[in-house]
Amino acid sequence: MLIPRRVKYRKQHHPKRSGAAKGGTTVSFGEYGIQAETPAYVTNRQIEAARIAMTRHIKRGGKVWINIYPDRPLTKKPAETRMGSGKGSPEWWVANVKPGRVLFELSGVSEEVAREALRLAIHKLPLKARIVRREGGE
Amino acid sequence: MTDQIKLPVEVRTEFGKGYARRARANGQVPAVIYGHGTDPIHILLPAQEASLALRHSNVLLNLDVEGAPQLVLTKDVQREPIRGFLMHVDLLVVRKGEKVSVDVNVHVEGEIAAGGLLEQELFTVSIEAEATHLPEYVTLNVEGKEVGDVMHASDLILPEGTELQIEGDAVAATVHAPRAETAASADEAAESATSGTAAEAKSAE
Repeated sequence: MLIPRRVKYRKQHHPKRSGAAKGGTTVSFGEYGIQAETPAYVTNRQIEAARIAMTRHIKRGGKVWINIYPDRPLTKKPAETRMGSGKGSPEWWVANVKPGRVLFELSGVSEEVAREALRLAIHKLPLKARIVRREGGE
Repeated sequence: MTDQIKLPVEVRTEFGKGYARRARANGQVPAVIYGHGTDPIHILLPAQEASLALRHSNVLLNLDVEGAPQLVLTKDVQREPIRGFLMHVDLLVVRKGEKVSVDVNVHVEGEIAAGGLLEQELFTVSIEAEATHLPEYVTLNVEGKEVGDVMHASDLILPEGTELQIEGDAVAATVHAPRAETAASADEAAESATSGTAAEAKSAE
């Protein structure tokens, strides 16, 4: 699962969720991709689940790119704890995804297989997304 | 080969995001024309017509700028990332018969031999051609290619009067064997290795 090897500070503020993606909004490596339509914190487990869903469907062949990285820690206080006593402990690693961002890319398979694989992957993600294809593609 | 598309143009004198947003709300797209050492001309294009014209790459536009016809090519197109409408267009002045350098898409034709997996490396390629005879795409024929075959930029089928602007030995596509069947077992291993994230977070410090 994706996780930073070393971080400077264990706990961070929550990432901003407003606005649209500034870059990474086009399919750059593969032929098809998943583009976010809503903002979300995508955890490393969700990224892994989506990747597994895709690679299982395409079986042999095809190539998958993961364009996001979960580099933001989110913390959580234990259950039934009184407020105060400092910030909770790191619980999740998330990628801060904004609308327009292409999360995954896929190539080397037929359009039918690619669309089904990406559809399965979208179901593992906590956001609304659509399937896009490379600009200038046939 | 590209046909010329005529578009009506309105010269603009106001600038800034406020004006640009008002123009977009009115169904227009801000654009700029430059090139050949001329002063830049700031214009407004009709959004619907411009959007239809720019669906294809390297379209030659024939603009009527205050009575003077102007041949232009699109240099840069900015689109809204989510809804995809045009935000701004950069247009480059060209002359008839002039050779220009543009990026065109590479279309793959044919079927590779069974058991291989085609990996395309070049999706666009830089070419030099006459501005009035720009191809919409160049073709790469992969018919019957087997595992281990490598196709280079020199294998691209270029239309007459077109020159490649990159090295001929640049890799355009390769055919390789699909991944081994171990992918599924790797997935299982990855799933079983999903222990508590808090512990992993500590190890990440």
